[in-house]
Amino acid sequence: MARSDGSQMATEMYEAWEKSMTTWWDQVLESPAFLKSMGSGVTQQVQGRRAYEDAVDTTLEKFHLPTRADLTRVARITSLLEDRLLSLEDRLLALEDRLVASEKATLQARIDAGEARLAAEDRLAAIEDRLIAIAEKLGSTLEEPTARPRRGRKEG
Amino acid sequence: MLEVLHRNAAVASFLKSDPIGSARTGATPNTVIHRQGKSAVRWFHPSVPATAAPVVIVMPLINTWTVWDLLPGRSVVERLLEAGVPVYLVDWGRPGKEDAARPLSDYADVLLGRVFDRVRRHAASQAYPQGLDAIGYCVGGTFLAVHLALHPEQVGRAAFVCTPIDFHQSGRLATWASPSDFPLDAIVDNLGNYPADMMRSSFRWLRPSGVTRKWVSLWEHAEDPAFQQLWAALEQWNDDNVDFPGETYREYVRRCYFDNALVAGGWQVGNRPVSLANVKVPALSVAAAQDHIVPPPAAHALASCWGGPVETVTINGGHVGVSVGRKLPATLIAWLRA
Repeated sequence: MARSDGSQMATEMYEAWEKSMTTWWDQVLESPAFLKSMGSGVTQQVQGRRAYEDAVDTTLEKFHLPTRADLTRVARITSLLEDRLLSLEDRLLALEDRLVASEKATLQARIDAGEARLAAEDRLAAIEDRLIAIAEKLGSTLEEPTARPRRGRKEG
Repeated sequence: MLEVLHRNAAVASFLKSDPIGSARTGATPNTVIHRQGKSAVRWFHPSVPATAAPVVIVMPLINTWTVWDLLPGRSVVERLLEAGVPVYLVDWGRPGKEDAARPLSDYADVLLGRVFDRVRRHAASQAYPQGLDAIGYCVGGTFLAVHLALHPEQVGRAAFVCTPIDFHQSGRLATWASPSDFPLDAIVDNLGNYPADMMRSSFRWLRPSGVTRKWVSLWEHAEDPAFQQLWAALEQWNDDNVDFPGETYREYVRRCYFDNALVAGGWQVGNRPVSLANVKVPALSVAAAQDHIVPPPAAHALASCWGGPVETVTINGGHVGVSVGRKLPATLIAWLRA
């Protein structure tokens, strides 16, 4: 929406006022006097609040009603119990992680053992084949003298 | 003058419809995959098949998480999902008085450690691409940085959005949080937690002109329904701070604001040194140019103390504005895909 002169003037007046107020506030809010009075003002305020809370608690106690301090104590105990439960949960999760890792390691070891067994079986089979081959060779070598004509002897 | 009256009437009629109360934020479908105390890990249902490693978003402990899923079309989470990045988000919930005694190590070390563990398990069950990245926003980024300093191998990459690292460059907040003036012990000793309403009021005092500025912006956009919807959702979120657990707050303010320990060193969490130099994974630091809570020098100081390579990007906008703008998700997606 295009601004009319009135609205423009209002904005400009506000901005001029804001600028002067900001400068003034900057001086006030960072002055040592303000800091001192803020410190003492806040101290008095918190002491007043504490006195009020204590008074309310005293009144409730007189009526045998649970005070805010009682409720806070109970809530704190619950909170501490929850902390302990969460610490237990942390330990359980860590144990679970170790169990999973150990299961993985066991599984891997079984796979490795299986593979090693297969490899050993292959090697055994190869050795067996070689032994058979040697035995066959040996057998044929032993049979040879009877089957083959003797050297150096001429048949008459 | 007639137009001024017309705008006034339009604003009045808009406010009459209770837009702040009825704004529906955090609407992207998600499932809680893990709970601990008040906090939860939300897994967002993917809209397209995953093409990148999952990312864990660590939100600040001082507000609700919905600012990164404010409205459809204004959601970092939604944009990451559309880009095929599986998203897990740490929602710290609403700590109560019973959490006041929790030390910072509970959040930055134990709880976040458990978050990463459970996310890793869930991601494996979803067969997502290998690896895990993390993004921290504001104080969530500071907690993420502390966690990674203690567990440098936890993620492959880490992005920090408007995350204070050099707290002594945090502008007015650094001035206010001076050990001599800020009554840190009085607050924690008397109230247990740092209450949400005090936090809200301190953020307002941080820039008083912001209070009037937001009404002027609404008035200027009196006839822009999209702006009004965003304005109402942001108002709802802005008013919805949560209590900061007391002992965590005490350590956070003492170590970060008083001692500037992320930069100066000397901080130990659970008897282990918090040294960002120990973290060697690539990091991204995104700062908002007009951020009055975490000015760019406070965020980009990461580059001087991180152990790995750091890319720094400064986006136009304010601390919250960048979360609902379009530039931030585009920057994060480009970096995650690189």
